[in-house]
Amino acid sequence: MSLEFLDASAAVKTEGFSPVARSPMERRARAAGAQIEERGGWALAVAYAASEQEAQTISHAAGWADMSHLAKLELQAEPDVVEAIFVSNPSAHFELGTAHRTDGAWWCPLAPSRLLVICEPSRFASVRRQLEDAVGAARKPVSLVDVTTAFAALTIVGPLSREVFARFSALDLRPHETPVGAVRPGSVARQPGVVVCEDEDRFLMLFGWAVAEYVWRQVEEAARRLGGSPVGIDALAPLDAAVEEVGG
Amino acid sequence: MSRLPAQPGERIARERVVRFTFDGHPVEGYEGDTIGSALYAAGRRTFSRSFKYHRRRGLMCCAGQCPNCIVAVDGAPGARACTEPVREGMRVEHLNATPGLEFDLMSAVDRFGGALTPPGFYYKTFIRPRKLWPVYEKVLRHAAGLGRIAKVHPDRQWQTEYRRRHTDVLVVGGGLAGLRAAASAAELGADVLLVDNGPRPGGRAIVDGHHGTAGHLHDKAVAAGVEILDGATALGYFDGLVPVWQGSTLHQIRAQEHVFATGAVEQPLVFSGNDLPGVMLSGGACRLASLYAVKPGNRAVVATTSDRGLQAAIALRKIGVELAAVADLRSTPGPPADAVRKLGVEVLPGHTVVEAQGGKTVAKATIAPVQASEADGGAPPTGRTFECDLVITSGGFVPAASLLVQAGAKTRYDSQRGHFALSDMPKSVHAAGEVAGYEDADSLSCSGKLAGLAAAHALGLGNPASRKAADELRERAATATAHPAAAALPPAVCGQGASKCFVCHCEDVTAKDIRQSIAEGYDSIELCKRYTTVTMGPCQGRMCELQSVRLMAQEMGRSLDEIGTTTTRPPTTPVPMGVLAGPPFEPAKRSAIHGRHRELNANVMWAGDWRRAYDYGDPEAEVLAVHRAAGLIDVSTLGKLLVRGPDAGEFLDRLYPNRLSNLKPGRIRYGVINSDAGRIVDDGTICRLDDDTFYVTTTSSGAGAVEEWFSWWLTDWGMRVYLTDITQGLAAVNLAGPKAREIMERVTELDCSNEAFKYLDGKRALIAGVPCLILRIGFVGELGYEIHCPSAHGEHLWDALLQAGEEFGIRPFGLEPQRVLRLQKMHILVGQDTDSESTPFGAAMPWIVKLDKEEDFIGRWALERYSTESASTTLVGFTLSDGRVPTEGSVVLDGGQAPIGQVTSSRFSPVLRQVIGMAWVPAGRASDGDTVTIADNGRTLQARVRTKPFYDPDGEVLRS
Repeated sequence: MSLEFLDASAAVKTEGFSPVARSPMERRARAAGAQIEERGGWALAVAYAASEQEAQTISHAAGWADMSHLAKLELQAEPDVVEAIFVSNPSAHFELGTAHRTDGAWWCPLAPSRLLVICEPSRFASVRRQLEDAVGAARKPVSLVDVTTAFAALTIVGPLSREVFARFSALDLRPHETPVGAVRPGSVARQPGVVVCEDEDRFLMLFGWAVAEYVWRQVEEAARRLGGSPVGIDALAPLDAAVEEVGG
Repeated sequence: MSRLPAQPGERIARERVVRFTFDGHPVEGYEGDTIGSALYAAGRRTFSRSFKYHRRRGLMCCAGQCPNCIVAVDGAPGARACTEPVREGMRVEHLNATPGLEFDLMSAVDRFGGALTPPGFYYKTFIRPRKLWPVYEKVLRHAAGLGRIAKVHPDRQWQTEYRRRHTDVLVVGGGLAGLRAAASAAELGADVLLVDNGPRPGGRAIVDGHHGTAGHLHDKAVAAGVEILDGATALGYFDGLVPVWQGSTLHQIRAQEHVFATGAVEQPLVFSGNDLPGVMLSGGACRLASLYAVKPGNRAVVATTSDRGLQAAIALRKIGVELAAVADLRSTPGPPADAVRKLGVEVLPGHTVVEAQGGKTVAKATIAPVQASEADGGAPPTGRTFECDLVITSGGFVPAASLLVQAGAKTRYDSQRGHFALSDMPKSVHAAGEVAGYEDADSLSCSGKLAGLAAAHALGLGNPASRKAADELRERAATATAHPAAAALPPAVCGQGASKCFVCHCEDVTAKDIRQSIAEGYDSIELCKRYTTVTMGPCQGRMCELQSVRLMAQEMGRSLDEIGTTTTRPPTTPVPMGVLAGPPFEPAKRSAIHGRHRELNANVMWAGDWRRAYDYGDPEAEVLAVHRAAGLIDVSTLGKLLVRGPDAGEFLDRLYPNRLSNLKPGRIRYGVINSDAGRIVDDGTICRLDDDTFYVTTTSSGAGAVEEWFSWWLTDWGMRVYLTDITQGLAAVNLAGPKAREIMERVTELDCSNEAFKYLDGKRALIAGVPCLILRIGFVGELGYEIHCPSAHGEHLWDALLQAGEEFGIRPFGLEPQRVLRLQKMHILVGQDTDSESTPFGAAMPWIVKLDKEEDFIGRWALERYSTESASTTLVGFTLSDGRVPTEGSVVLDGGQAPIGQVTSSRFSPVLRQVIGMAWVPAGRASDGDTVTIADNGRTLQARVRTKPFYDPDGEVLRS
């Protein structure tokens, strides 16, 4: 028996049923005026305001975007296996606290024996295949689990993004402490979370799916005081080539 | 009005008038004024009434240190008028005086109540007759305190924002030393944060006329990238965390290196009438004049122990204050004395002020040789009396070392300086400026630079040149501190006249009180503090600790080092409770289907840290729907763990008392988790997904603890097993009822017949297009399918099942109906039907303990013992015939009315039409048909014991 029941992307449209994956923050997003579109089987908050306005928010204050649809895979194995799988990526150097960005995915070593890989849903199949191949080659016990819906996610972006975090988290996100590519497991709004610095002034924050509404409220309260507002996923710039090389 | 012409460096903007009220009377000030300076300029001299004797108090320090000017601003008590900026329309009111500040009825305590109010008077005066204590207490409580907080005060409600800030170097104090330290560290590349409690950095330098230097250093620091928080007070030091209060924000600052440049606090002199309005510290008078252009008085008497008082005298003369006399305690006054004499003012060496007299304000002061006043030990002072409206005192300076001491620094009495000075410093903590014993502007700046460089070097920053510079500065600093400016040590009490000599202005503690405390045996500073409350007021000992220690040393014939100091604790400054309360973090877990429950008007309740649907308005109908058609409940809150690896089966065998390694893939088994002592701690189901993978569910509230428990043992055993907590990753619903199978057939192609999908089978299939794990189990006692799917599809699954079940009469049901249904089956709820003493044997589940297992397992030793002993109490079911539902927790009585057990669950079953429940009863009465007595809130109920489930006792419905 496989673990397909963990895979949100394995839902299929059948006669009479059209399952669409939904973020736990969808209601919050709708209440904030989100324009929701179905893409790749997910209902996504693609925009809240005019694109110029969202760009202004991102360039002058802080915006937050619901990224819960990002695929997440957890790999657990003995440390040497985890490291070997990690460094199988070209130019990857295994170091706790530093993620490797490659082929549209963040490879985040959370512990010597635990790796979290985060990617766009469109990359999910190929990333999983890559991991499964690596697992097959490992010849040692490895656990590979789809944890996409165990973690909700928000991207917080903009020059005041660190100030937003400072309202609900004690993580040290100063650029020299948390440079681009750094991954920081820690407490966010008093809940277990993981923060990845995706770019200068841009952070991806993972947290429990069930506490997503609560976390949204905390982020909203912090960001609005600083002039921030929610932004759609279309407002986020693609991570540039420089970031792709992080960890190399 | 006593406003002066424009002063260099003044903070006020004269072109912008600010209007506010004091006790309802309109007052005008300028932008930049404090409440205190504006009121003083408008002629007010009495600002508050003292804590105990209700004596008039006026401005004294003008630095937010003393308690003399505490007022209420817009209804909020506790603001210090001397530092609180004026705002247009603000409402300022006095505290602690009835009916008014000018005429206070309670001031009778000062005139007539002395004998009734010695130290600890509430333990002495008001203890007889004893029965009147409640009355006394009420009166005392009413009289005590500094202001009243209104119970409802909408315009005073605010929410503090918490801001967490990491920094390489935190500098506390924005005087010359602090600014220099911040700039030096930042110039070497450190991330530096400077906090200063003034409206803008500069500290004493601005008062002393060095505003240009302060401004230059400020600009330099900013240019170097220092973040400056002004109007920000550091409240304490908690293992490296420094909370800083700034308006409506509480910064939680974590720094690698700390520089404290917190300055020094000028000390008052202790003499008769030293609390009269008009008796002011030299620094206070200078601040009024230089920062706010307010003339503090017309004719002054100055008493000092160092050059600082002489310099203040010169400064006051420059703004037109007539100097009646200047007393310098030193036998040879310092160089500024010549400048004073040149102004035509007599300087009296070896003299000090021994008495101040007056009514509403000081009217005259007596100066006498210090030897005479010391020698006669409290006899009326002899000396020369001068008419004046201002008495300027300067009794030396004490390092403001509270934060440093909290950080681990040590202090030792320095007889040369006459105060407790820093001796040992902890790692990563640096002191600079006056707090470290530096005095003149050059050495302040030098010490600041040294501290900044040292902090940066400790971070690994800097270069050979900076290290060389630090070495040179260290030498200069050592020279500067080796030769402190000449100062005389004032006597503990300068003179005692008709009026009281206050050691502690905050708590109205007099020299006499301290002496009495010693006489009564409170002869250590900590005991004296608790008995007299000296140092326990708003100044937190800044202006009274040294005086009380000095007095105790004199009275007891000991050294000041022997007396020691009191313990400094955070907060170092009074702070509103609202600032500490901060924004609420109340994490609530919500299932992926929670929104649907809201739309269905569910009554939502807390269940552990989850928000859950209690019912949907009619729990009884929901129960009946499950029995007669179908019901759907959201069970996403169940803990869900994936246990994977070649050793997974063995791992679970060690954790559970039953056998799980022999479970076939696709099959489910119930499991109870025991502690080492064989007590039940959680339960749930285990489904084997494949040879190496088990899907474990736990109770909703136990998920975290079970995951921790598993992880802990896994670490210990080092087995080839990996755990993944997917509790939040999967939504889960339980579809139950006689129509459940038919509903399933409408949403899946899976063969749900009883032959193909048996009771305790686990299968994977698409339900309504969503990949699911379906467990055929029945917590509620009917044919049931527990369906688990990715959380992102939870709502879709819920909707599809309700839609498919509509024609069959399906209803959603909540927690309360579920509790009734499971009780009918006598399925236990861990934590409700069990407690920390419950074992599987006592809970009537001996079948789950497999003592014939070869492997050891958690709790085996204890369970083996329990298996050979009959349990004293047993969990059984019971029915009640009279229709009354006993309260859960009711006591089960034996014949002699002694408690012998308790009711754990009880409900009225709508399908059985009777009251049912579960209770712990003596093993001897645990047979079917036995009766037990239940005592419930004065009622006595007779219950009949039942050992088998009330509903479907043989499980035929479940298996059908």
